[in-house]
Amino acid sequence: MERRDFLATAVITGGTVATAAVLGPVAWTALSPAWSDRRRGVWADVGTLEEFEIGKVTHAVVEVPRDDWAASLRRRGVFVWRQSEGNVTVFARSCTDLGCPVTWDPGNGWFFCPCHGGIFDRDGEPQRGPPKRPLHRYAHRVEAGRLMIDLDSIPPQAG
Amino acid sequence: MRRSLHRRLGAWAADRFGWRPVREHVLERRVAKSPWYFGDGATMLALLGVLVVTGLGMMLTYSPHPDAAYSSIRYITERQPMGWFVRGLHYWSAGLLMFMTVWHVLRQILIAGYKFPREGTWLVGTAMLVVIVTMAFTGYLLRWDERAIHAVRVALHILGGVPWIGEALVVLVQGDEQPGARLLTRLFAIHVALLPLLLGALVAWHIYLVILHGVTSHGERKKLTHTAEQQKQRYKADAHDEEKGETFYPDTMAQSGAMAGIVLAIAVVLVVVRGPAALMPEANLTETSFPAEEWWWWWFSALVALLPPAVAPTFLVLFPLVVLIGMCLLPLVDRGPERGYRKRPLALGFVVLTVVLLVGLSGLRLRSPWTGWPVGEPPALPPDVMLAPEAETGRLLFARHGCTSCHSVAGAGGRTVAVDLAEMEAPRSRQYLDDYIRRPPPGVAMPAYEGWATEEEIQRLVDYVLVAQMFRTHR
Repeated sequence: MERRDFLATAVITGGTVATAAVLGPVAWTALSPAWSDRRRGVWADVGTLEEFEIGKVTHAVVEVPRDDWAASLRRRGVFVWRQSEGNVTVFARSCTDLGCPVTWDPGNGWFFCPCHGGIFDRDGEPQRGPPKRPLHRYAHRVEAGRLMIDLDSIPPQAG
Repeated sequence: MRRSLHRRLGAWAADRFGWRPVREHVLERRVAKSPWYFGDGATMLALLGVLVVTGLGMMLTYSPHPDAAYSSIRYITERQPMGWFVRGLHYWSAGLLMFMTVWHVLRQILIAGYKFPREGTWLVGTAMLVVIVTMAFTGYLLRWDERAIHAVRVALHILGGVPWIGEALVVLVQGDEQPGARLLTRLFAIHVALLPLLLGALVAWHIYLVILHGVTSHGERKKLTHTAEQQKQRYKADAHDEEKGETFYPDTMAQSGAMAGIVLAIAVVLVVVRGPAALMPEANLTETSFPAEEWWWWWFSALVALLPPAVAPTFLVLFPLVVLIGMCLLPLVDRGPERGYRKRPLALGFVVLTVVLLVGLSGLRLRSPWTGWPVGEPPALPPDVMLAPEAETGRLLFARHGCTSCHSVAGAGGRTVAVDLAEMEAPRSRQYLDDYIRRPPPGVAMPAYEGWATEEEIQRLVDYVLVAQMFRTHR
């Protein structure tokens, strides 16, 4: 029986090692995005500050500055609210409930989500429906008269 | 002489290719007789077969890169000969499979199909449910239209709500910080390779267990057994009984096949009448969009909209887990001998409640009374009404200031988020309306128009609402 036990152990150990040797690297490479370097800070140009009328909310499209093979969906919409001369807020289009694309209603000056009835006022504060958090705001800066936003300053699913 | 050669060749092949045991143990096996609707499993198998074949057909053309995916789907639908039919059959078979999946699960709950000795069959089936649901979701993402991109983002948001590891999960599925080529490639690989392989194995296992343990028969429901061994003997006795049993091929297969054939015919009729799923504009993150989920998610969408905000985020994460864990625990917890629904009021109540909820919530989603959205058109006047010039100006302003995004007037306008102005509790005075429009009371989800509209505009709006509140609703 000793030989039999030895062979059984060898088969099970050998099989486990061989399986792990193949599955391990595959699982590692498949899961790697989850722990790869994040939050790099990708700054995108929204346009010159003058383009945005004071007191208005404007829908603007930014080019995502990436040109590698994963660069599809290169354009992204944002809402620029220029409260005053120097005061600007840039909202993401994603509803803070489940990420549906909100639209700005120029008539009443509120944001509407098409999915589950989320409504935000022009400060981005939730007024109705499921969302509890205000609209995401991009980190922004003005460089030489141009409005720049950090695309990675909001959660990855909300861009 | 020729006949005997024919027979000898057949016997040789049956031996060398290993058909004989299959014929004996599968095709010629005795099973307990079942009513026609036990053919739902065979129907699902047939639908899966259609999905595999039509999916392969489309894979020969489909391009899994975001810059080309949408165009390739359009090509399949609009230019490739019979492409519209293949895509349509894939779409409707998937929808019918979702329907049959719910049917199958609820029917098993109703007749206690998960009870001994079939716990394993049920658990493998539970795993299949997870895979089928994921397939039904990833499938329509591959269209890469607006519905697809926003659906995947909703899923990513739900994932993002998982405590601690939410963000890592999002990046894991997306393959990247931003949604792009890696996301679509991953969805494609999951939909056409990973899950089909897994599902194929699970289907084989499930069918093997059905052959081994049979399906819950009428006899078992009438005469109770208390152990798995007793049950196996009872089933065997029924199967071999002249009255209660039949041979799988051709008796059972004819019946199951008839149901499968009818459902497949329904799929074909749906393809011819309705065509494949309509394509929305290509996936983008810039255009104003009013996306909607596929019809088999309507109930879920309505549920999400109606849940109190305080519990919604927890619910979204826990709901799939609770269903899954509940299904896994069911055969371990409910171990009584009763198998029909007559003596299992809990099971009957659960199934009825589930069906009512699914249908009711789906109906609600169709009407979506919770969604406000810019309409643009001023509300139509009732047929016999003329407005004074001030009120008419107010009616146009009512649209221009986005009141129509939430309010209907006497049923006209289509939005029902806020009160229909012709259906307010009581007629309101000029002063009341004026105050309300300027500064709505706290807690009311309506913008204050003071400072947003001019003094003149507010007066005209009041002129209109004063009259409009007296309109009769024509339905």
